[in-house]
Amino acid sequence: MIDSQFDLVVIGGGPAGIAATSTAASFGLKVAIIDERATFGGQIFKRLGEGFAIQSPDDLGKDYARGARLIDELDQPRISKFTSTTVLTIEANQIITSHPVEGVRSFNPKALVIAPGAYDRPVVFPGWTLPGVMTAGAVQTLVKTQQISPGKRIFFAGSGPLALAFSAQLIKYGAPVFKVIESAPFPSPAKLLGLLSSVNGNWDLAGDALRYRSTLLSKRVPFHYGRIIIKAEGSGRVEEVTHARVDRDWNPIPGTEVVESADTLCLGYGFFPSHELFRLLDCNFDYDETRGGFTVAKDHWGLTESSSPIPIYAVGDGTGVTGSYSAEAQGRLAGLHIANHLGSLSTTERDTQSKGFLKELNQRNKFQRAINKMFEVKQGIYQLADANTVICRCESVKAKEIDPVIDSTCDLSVVKSYSRAGMGLCQARNCQRQIAAMIAKRHDRSISEINFQTPRMPVKPVEIGKIADPSIREEKYFIQ
Amino acid sequence: MSERAPFLVGYLDNETNQSDLPPSSDVVIIGGGLLGTSLAYYLSKSGVETVLIERDDINREASGTNAGSFHFQIALHQLTPNMSESERRRLADEVRLQVDAASLWDEIEQELDADLGVHFDGGIMVAESDDEMRVLKEKDAIEKEAGLESHILTGDEMRAFAPYLAPDLAGISFCPREGHANSLLVGPTYAYRAWQNGALFRTGCDVTRIERVSGGGNLKGKRFRVITSRGVIECNRVVNATGAWAAELSAQLGLHIPLGLSGLHVNVTEPREYFLKSMIQHIGRRLTLKQTHNNTFIIGGGWPSREEKFPKRYSNTWSSTTGNLAVALRVLPMLADVKLLRTWSGVWAYTKDFKPILGESEKVPGYHIAMVPTGFTLGPMVAQMLSQYMTAAPGKGKLPTEFNIDREVA
Repeated sequence: MIDSQFDLVVIGGGPAGIAATSTAASFGLKVAIIDERATFGGQIFKRLGEGFAIQSPDDLGKDYARGARLIDELDQPRISKFTSTTVLTIEANQIITSHPVEGVRSFNPKALVIAPGAYDRPVVFPGWTLPGVMTAGAVQTLVKTQQISPGKRIFFAGSGPLALAFSAQLIKYGAPVFKVIESAPFPSPAKLLGLLSSVNGNWDLAGDALRYRSTLLSKRVPFHYGRIIIKAEGSGRVEEVTHARVDRDWNPIPGTEVVESADTLCLGYGFFPSHELFRLLDCNFDYDETRGGFTVAKDHWGLTESSSPIPIYAVGDGTGVTGSYSAEAQGRLAGLHIANHLGSLSTTERDTQSKGFLKELNQRNKFQRAINKMFEVKQGIYQLADANTVICRCESVKAKEIDPVIDSTCDLSVVKSYSRAGMGLCQARNCQRQIAAMIAKRHDRSISEINFQTPRMPVKPVEIGKIADPSIREEKYFIQ
Repeated sequence: MSERAPFLVGYLDNETNQSDLPPSSDVVIIGGGLLGTSLAYYLSKSGVETVLIERDDINREASGTNAGSFHFQIALHQLTPNMSESERRRLADEVRLQVDAASLWDEIEQELDADLGVHFDGGIMVAESDDEMRVLKEKDAIEKEAGLESHILTGDEMRAFAPYLAPDLAGISFCPREGHANSLLVGPTYAYRAWQNGALFRTGCDVTRIERVSGGGNLKGKRFRVITSRGVIECNRVVNATGAWAAELSAQLGLHIPLGLSGLHVNVTEPREYFLKSMIQHIGRRLTLKQTHNNTFIIGGGWPSREEKFPKRYSNTWSSTTGNLAVALRVLPMLADVKLLRTWSGVWAYTKDFKPILGESEKVPGYHIAMVPTGFTLGPMVAQMLSQYMTAAPGKGKLPTEFNIDREVA
């Protein structure tokens, strides 16, 4: 069925999507908000699991309350909420979704906001596919919603503000993190100064960081700068992890390896934006490693250029990782622009109302840029695999099987065709960038020059029985 | 499930691929699909100096985007209602050609010393209604006449033979000779072996113009000058193996090749435990369905995709996805909880009579075309035929007259 009643459809129910939805609805627009999860709030506002020892409720309560406030904004009569609903593809102005019980539903709104969020950056090194090696997001989900600590001795390797925040949060929930390594060097005075100059409007975030640090200190969990994970070993699951000091480009320095016993390795090296839908719509992209790699090109309202006949807005971490406050501001700005575009808000009023959000966005982004500079991901992160490391974990394709193909092509689709790397269930989310980096290195190019695989629908795997439609008949050959 | 290839042959040799285009060659093949790469292999095997140029990468278009089926049984689009005796004869001829192609596929893995996923586990053609059953029987009779083994099964016999099929189908025909191969590997492997034989490959090399050189060019005796994005090469003989783009290139030499183009949609699923040995087709609906030896299901059969201009790739449509999957589900209900992973599409080029265009132009001596509508099944065989023609003593080479490239030249 095609649902034609909506002025606006918003894909993604995290802070950016919620803000865009409620802002547009507040000006009288009829809005549908879609999320593939059972609840709104996105990864950041996942509900806490019961039974964990929360030692400082105030600290956790702030984020929790902010999430609840945002989610409550969706309780407006003009907003229709679609949870457990996965977007499969977008054709021109038609958004096609699937629900496990209700099946396929299509929308053809006058405008579309895409706020798809980001996913944990996969880091490929010998042993990264061993059971017990987990991304921070997965561990966070287990701890927050399933009340399960994945191990008794958790080693945390990562980089950026999230490495600090996640490890501190996990400790607070009672998950036994015993050591944290951060790949970036201890912040230089110049970088700290840069951070300080942009802290205006970001005292909340700066305060959070200090609290996280003090959590680690009070629990006597060592936090080491300038080290990277290089290996995980064990029979059947992680038993030992090896880390090493890095040079300026995050290449491990031989002779500095340290082996530790651990039953869980938690990886928090930042995020990759989910840009599959933008690729299907032929949007333009920039490359910024510190914001997660390929980021969709857009103006400050979030408006993109695309092949769709309706305006497509791109907001939130799925368009370049800048955090939840920036995401929310982006969502508000898109909501205002859409309200104006669809005639519910004058241009003057739009510009007046957007001033505060623009200021917020600029302050947040300035701070984020300073942080990103401090924890900039370096190319060494792509050089940790050896010849026998599995690169494509879905299809079990090793580096040495990909190498001969890379020798003669710069095209990820060719590598996929010939080696099967990137053909599996994750639809290349885990291995694509690693292979692009391998190509870039071999052909002496920048990773940003390596094109994506050809974008193909569905953007998430879906059961055949849920979407097959017997009413669609092909052109007849001759049997009537 | 078969073992993974004992070795993954290299794709191409990058060092030679990156170096300059040589100034001349006996033969220049334009197009690095299955026709071009297999022709490069057979020519170079006979010691003919060969350079293959391809604007993109090897095997990227129809050669690598088709579903890898061998079409030996007569398909629905070849049949017409109330066929005359001459039409029946034409179809029987086509079947014989396909059967010949099968013997090449029998030996290809040995010839190229690589695992190409070739399997001859038979093909099933299903009929849903009595009308379809009547057509299936007629088709079966023509095939038998042409020497293709096939069996008609209905009722309990059908259900016992293929218990996984929907039990209420009207009947099936089973052709033990049918099979499939991995279309992603065949072209590149031909290319790699051709390179080992001394053929040169230049990818990312776009032909902008072909000029006829009267009275010999800069290099004595050469008849053509091919101007590309990577330089100029002169040659004695040109082979246009550009598939769907064969007409564009031929027009430069004043030749008119009427080709129909159509985008075809293909689906692939997540893997499931291997059980479906035979390919499944439908006599009344568009369907090809097979389980690959990577355990995924590939579902296609001729549903349309949207035309796009090169270098953008033909794009998939939702209606083709859901329509095609519904036909698959009707025939094989157990697919309901299998996840669709990806779709893709490629371009299919065809001639009015669905026969290959193969050979040398009489109007432009030295200019050859190699184009086959059922390119995956027949491609390597017609390439071998063209290679034999091109390596025969002058005037001695022979190709089937019904493939004559001037037949459709206005």
